[in-house]
Amino acid sequence: MAANLLEVRNLGTTFRFGQAEVQALHEVSFEARTGRVLGIVGESGSGKSLTARAIMRMLPETASVSNGEVLFESGNLLDLPEARMRSIRGSKIAMVFQDPQAALNPVKTVGWQIEEALVVHGMNKSRARARAIELLGQVGIPEPDKRIDDFPHQFSGGMRQRVVIAIAIANSAKLIIADEPTTALDVTIQAQVLRLLVDLKSRLDIGVILITHDMGVVAEICDDIVVMYGGRVVERGAVAGVFAAPQHPYTRNLLRSMPRIEGVRTARLPTIPGSTPDLSRLPSGCAFHPRCQFAEDICLREVPVLLPMAGSPEREAACHVARQNAGLPPDPDPTPSSEPLAGVRTSGSAPAILEIEDLSVTFPGGGGWLRREKPIVAVDGVSLSLRPGETLGLVGESGCGKTSLSRTIVGLNRPSSGYIRVAGEDVTDFGAEAAAHVRRTVQYVFQDPYASLNPRLSIRQILSEALEQRGLPGRQREAAARALMDMVGLDAAYLDRYPKAFSGGQRQRIGIARALAVEPRVLICDEPVSALDVSIQAQVINILADLRDRLGLGILFIAHDLSVVRHLSDRVAVMYLGRIVEIGPASDVYEHPLHPYTAVLLSSTPKPVPDPSAMQRKLVLGGDMPSPRNPPSGCRFRTRCPIGPLADPSRRICIEKDPLLVGPGEHKSACHFPDEAAGLAVQSKA
Amino acid sequence: MTATNPTETHAGGRRRLMGEGLGRYIAALGQPKGLIGSGLLVLLVLAAVFAPILFPGGVDQQSRDSFLLPSLLHPFGTDELGRDIFVRCVYALQVSISLVIVAVPIAAVLGTLMGLSGAISGLLGEAFQRVFDIILGFPSLVLGICIVIVIGPGWLALATTIVVFSLPQFGRLARGALLSEQGREYVLAARVLGVSRPKIMIRHILPNALDPIFVQVSLSMIGGIFIEAALSIVGLGIQPPTPSLGTLLNVGIRYVYAQPMYTAGPIIMLLLLALAFNLIADALNAQVLKTRGE
Repeated sequence: MAANLLEVRNLGTTFRFGQAEVQALHEVSFEARTGRVLGIVGESGSGKSLTARAIMRMLPETASVSNGEVLFESGNLLDLPEARMRSIRGSKIAMVFQDPQAALNPVKTVGWQIEEALVVHGMNKSRARARAIELLGQVGIPEPDKRIDDFPHQFSGGMRQRVVIAIAIANSAKLIIADEPTTALDVTIQAQVLRLLVDLKSRLDIGVILITHDMGVVAEICDDIVVMYGGRVVERGAVAGVFAAPQHPYTRNLLRSMPRIEGVRTARLPTIPGSTPDLSRLPSGCAFHPRCQFAEDICLREVPVLLPMAGSPEREAACHVARQNAGLPPDPDPTPSSEPLAGVRTSGSAPAILEIEDLSVTFPGGGGWLRREKPIVAVDGVSLSLRPGETLGLVGESGCGKTSLSRTIVGLNRPSSGYIRVAGEDVTDFGAEAAAHVRRTVQYVFQDPYASLNPRLSIRQILSEALEQRGLPGRQREAAARALMDMVGLDAAYLDRYPKAFSGGQRQRIGIARALAVEPRVLICDEPVSALDVSIQAQVINILADLRDRLGLGILFIAHDLSVVRHLSDRVAVMYLGRIVEIGPASDVYEHPLHPYTAVLLSSTPKPVPDPSAMQRKLVLGGDMPSPRNPPSGCRFRTRCPIGPLADPSRRICIEKDPLLVGPGEHKSACHFPDEAAGLAVQSKA
Repeated sequence: MTATNPTETHAGGRRRLMGEGLGRYIAALGQPKGLIGSGLLVLLVLAAVFAPILFPGGVDQQSRDSFLLPSLLHPFGTDELGRDIFVRCVYALQVSISLVIVAVPIAAVLGTLMGLSGAISGLLGEAFQRVFDIILGFPSLVLGICIVIVIGPGWLALATTIVVFSLPQFGRLARGALLSEQGREYVLAARVLGVSRPKIMIRHILPNALDPIFVQVSLSMIGGIFIEAALSIVGLGIQPPTPSLGTLLNVGIRYVYAQPMYTAGPIIMLLLLALAFNLIADALNAQVLKTRGE
């Protein structure tokens, strides 16, 4: 085992709000080693980012370190004078932030910004430029000698993050702390950046601390893991061991409640009840006890200490129950998770409730009076249908047109051509009568539960506005509102509260209740769980599944996360650059993808199963999605396709001919070489 | 219910929207800044209203000596005719305060409606914005001169100038709020539900647009007071012998060496008024940011 590079011991920090003091971090201890990636995992409010900032001594003004030490190169970073610390930051320990857009200065070229990092740590100006070019090459930016004089806005999100990483490694730092470095990126780009991090780690022999909320990312690239909850470390150890046999109930439940992209699909996701606690109002004793199925009296009274597990000194967990029983007891109620999905749910005979035919949506290209830009074709000739009681998953990366498509269905955008039929009625023109018909039949659940509820209205007002639209007289609205709250699992006593009193998951349920108020037959869910913590996602997904089965709702479920889509969907459509590239029954699409893009998406999605070689087998796409303003000729995916003309220049057909969405039976794809796509998927799985 | 307990514990039935909004503004005035600001304003308004009782001699009461230095009897001294400058300043407040209290709210309502008109017709909204651009193209003095030429100098011309000049501030704020609110997901949600446009306007957009407008009312009051002073200094506003802060300055500047308080007095009143409205605006703004930030 390599020597410790950085050692955090009993770190505690406090926030000061006026007179009051709140302890935010409690006794946080861990080590980072050279040549290894340490993952710090936790949900929002667990204190993981605060830990990173405490190490770098970049805490917000209201926070301060109350105790503990951070040992680095045989000195305590917390005792150093600020001038010494400044010379360590960026040269010995570097940081990569979540949002590459905000981390780079928009008015300076990327070259200037890399050179600045070099010059402040003592390199002379003339050598700095050559080194900057070398660094850009090292992080995989093509033609670094040309791109060095470009500005950040000329780079895509993934490329910007590479530049940020180049700055981090500029001074041969020994340790890189990356705070959610891929959260703002699409999965295919995330895979590129993660691979780069792993690559740099072994090439430059440095240590990496990766802060993330995604267990899949941890399983894929981390060697060690620290799980945080409520400002404490609740479990730590080597990734393989922790994933195989978690010793803290929170770790175990978190792993189980993640929807999986592989393996048996279960009818219901196991959930963790409740929501993540606020650091300023932590429960007594073990902070997890209100959500823990094993909680005993001692858990309410005493804070469990992080201690090595019997028999494995490298593993530590902070749980009274695991300690008393020499290991976490098996789950008393494993039934919901082990019950597999009962075959393929049948709804085949019913006529479609929603039909879209050859739909296109264009937006004006902008520009002034004199120079009109080309219009943007956001959705280009898409056909879909949805039956009652069926869930159709719509998957694609940001900018592929999935939101434009769904908003067009409910009349928020106007189609430029094609047809929309709702319950057999043509509503494409969206006249008064058609609009009323759509609104009675189709409702929408928005992505951001913090933005979709008016903060000035109480929940009763929000629901009664929707009930009023159904034409319910005032007297009956109270009872109906209570019934809606009950339907989404919220207490009717909360009707008088305002949205700010609720957590993200609860708000999303209110959003669902509002959509259900008009008794629709189709629900369009636009990324309904992507803004929620993992432990809360499962609750919302289960509610949607229940409602679908109870009310016979057709659900169009839009997401970028393939695992979530797989869990809920009967059929899946994959969208790329305004077109559907593959569509079919969920099991077929996930097991035998017929389009290379689907295969790449599947391969890029991090799986919460530790596998040291997973990163090598991954299909990693080069480049970024082209602009919908100027789509490539022929097949739109050809500029990034692993089996297209990039790999085999003789395949002129991909450049010349637009592939049609065809296939045997229900499973269709738009690729000239569908058999090879299937081969790709097998290769990345094996 | 297993989730964390929501923090707020409002019981009570449905509360009226505007009621809640106004309550917040009043709460803002209870904060230290708001308290000082509104206290100062109340003091100045009371002084202006009760001037005839406080100084029963009226504006024109003369003493025997002109250009007396400030003393207990005459806090700002006396002018060229031996009149008490302080008394004249207090009477002058009547004009300034009555002007802005009438003109600014009219401008606020009109301007907000013009700004929000974009919700009814995009073309109408655009047209009003161009009108605002034209108004902003004129310096306030030139605009005032134009209006005085049409209406003739006096209170009405001043009030009209203040209304016209304040319109764009409210119109642009309201339009900004309209455009940002229209894209909010809760407004989209209401549209998907089929809620009618007027209802979306009243329930979702207007309450969120009102915050900055209330702050602007306070700031426009200051602007109005200065417009009166500027126009009266050049003789286009209130006509002597009625005292207004501007007319006092107009005469006072001529005697600035003989009686500095003749100029300083009205300016002190102007500053006190501006301070009062500024503190109120600050307090309202702080309250708005607090609610926004949740």
